[in-house]
Amino acid sequence: MAVIELQGVSKVYTKGGESLVVLDNLDMKVEAGEYLALMGPSGSGKSTILNLIGGLDEADSGTIRVGDVEVTRLDDADLTSWRARHIGYVFQAFNLIPVLTALENVELPLLLTPLGKAERRKQAEYALEIVGLADRMDHRPKQLSGGQEQRVAIARAIASDPTILLCDEPTGDLDRESADQVLELLKRLSTEFGKTVIMVTHDLKAGEEAGRVLHLDKGVVEHATTA
Amino acid sequence: MSLGRLVRRHVGSHPVRAILTIGAVAVALFLFCFLRSIVTSLDAAVQESSSRRIITASAVSLFQSLPTTYLEAIEAIDGVESASRFTWFGGVYKEPSNFFAQFGTDPQTLMKQYPEIVIPEEQKQAWFNDRRGAIVGIGLAEKYGFKAGDTVPLLGTIYPRTDGSEWEFNIHGVYRSLRANVDEMTMYFHWPYLDESLENGTALGPRGTSVFLIRLADDYRGEDVSDAIDAYYAGGPQRTRTQPEAAFQADFVNMLGNLPTFLGMIGAAVLVAILFGVVNTMTIAARERMRTMGILKALGFPRQVPSRLYLMEAISFAALGGAIGMGVAWSTQGVFRSILGTQVPMYRVAPETFVWGCVICIVIGIVGGAVPAWNASRLHAVEALRRGA
Repeated sequence: MAVIELQGVSKVYTKGGESLVVLDNLDMKVEAGEYLALMGPSGSGKSTILNLIGGLDEADSGTIRVGDVEVTRLDDADLTSWRARHIGYVFQAFNLIPVLTALENVELPLLLTPLGKAERRKQAEYALEIVGLADRMDHRPKQLSGGQEQRVAIARAIASDPTILLCDEPTGDLDRESADQVLELLKRLSTEFGKTVIMVTHDLKAGEEAGRVLHLDKGVVEHATTA
Repeated sequence: MSLGRLVRRHVGSHPVRAILTIGAVAVALFLFCFLRSIVTSLDAAVQESSSRRIITASAVSLFQSLPTTYLEAIEAIDGVESASRFTWFGGVYKEPSNFFAQFGTDPQTLMKQYPEIVIPEEQKQAWFNDRRGAIVGIGLAEKYGFKAGDTVPLLGTIYPRTDGSEWEFNIHGVYRSLRANVDEMTMYFHWPYLDESLENGTALGPRGTSVFLIRLADDYRGEDVSDAIDAYYAGGPQRTRTQPEAAFQADFVNMLGNLPTFLGMIGAAVLVAILFGVVNTMTIAARERMRTMGILKALGFPRQVPSRLYLMEAISFAALGGAIGMGVAWSTQGVFRSILGTQVPMYRVAPETFVWGCVICIVIGIVGGAVPAWNASRLHAVEALRRGA
């Protein structure tokens, strides 16, 4: 059953008076628990798809449904609240807050939940255990390697137990060894924890790890490959 | 983990900037308290003056002495309970820079007229009984180390001794004042000691008295008695000008010209400058934290949270700086009372000044954080992450 469904989605950016079609009447479905990779050249619309699904950006036309919710109908406040409960983000540049420790970074999204202080800490510690960084809880981002930073970012993304993980070039800034660890972790989150993972990547190895790959070009799905 | 901790970490992440900003606010709030206190302290002397006292001076000038023969006539006027002579001595203690007020007066009458002057009974009696005796305010005593039993030499400027020597006054007591209209930086001595010296030729200077301090009898209005005194001397030999104590005090404040307005303008300019400083600091901080705010939005924090963080940070700067500035203003009152001496003898920071200080801190905090808060509320998560990269 499709947990994410995009129908006729278009997105046009205007810059310097020129219109750039990023997504052109895109249809796409993602099954629950699926590990999907989006690949394609720069400007093909991969990251825009993630931003639209996660509600960080608005489609110009078309509908986006995630579970029972039509995301395109939510106003900003509802969208923000919905995102906090259902979406976990992993960015290429990790995007950890430098003044907070690993544990505090992971605990941050839990401030949006009704959990108490002790429960938040427990859940954040558990998330760090899952990504194998229980011994780095009190380290600040600059005290961690790139791979460790990305694993902390993944722990933060899963801390509030969202159903969907949106990963934008998660291995883009990592060496091969660290990238493999992150890919293995994402796969485990999909297979073992049932998360729906959508990953934007240029990394062929990352594409091979995914269950399905959508190849995009000029805002449309050119073809799909399945593992 | 809490958003408050995030604010503290952000403040602590640039300690030099934080210290400078907090320090600037502290200096501004201290200056505000200090300048406003000068004005309010001068005003307090006027506000706390007694409506039961009037002062008679020469109609020509305050610096023109009145004949002491007026005393008996004034005391005989209906509505006058008592009158005392009060002469500005203008002596110098050791060096010209050691300037403080000295007045020759009638001690027994003065102490009845001014119940707000408080001194131990035995010290008061000792003063009454010694023609060369004097009392000093607690502020003066602390500044120069005067105490009962000391002999204070003063070089006469208006009333020099003919042999060039110093006048000697025996300190018998240290007084405190219960109201701002009487300061604690003054020395009072026997007017007859001065007059006798002029009479027997051991000192030179104008005879008479600077003013008469008059206490009204019950149920008499100051205006009526003032009019009666001035009418009595309307034909000379020297015309008088009698006014309430408050008006007399106000004349002294007015001698300073537009000082209150001038001080107010300086204070306002400093506060506006500091406000710009805080806005500048917060704007720099906001630019640096663009990505952090994007992260918070991407994580699902409502749009008002980043705004709130900036406001909390700006208010933290203002509150910490304000607390330090006002704390310094509070703890240095004694020091400034001593430094300002005769100019603002009853310098004190009034409670209303601290209330205004708190209001200013809140305004600095809110206005300082408002610009980045407003920008943050309109910031798009994707845009913030891109621009902050």
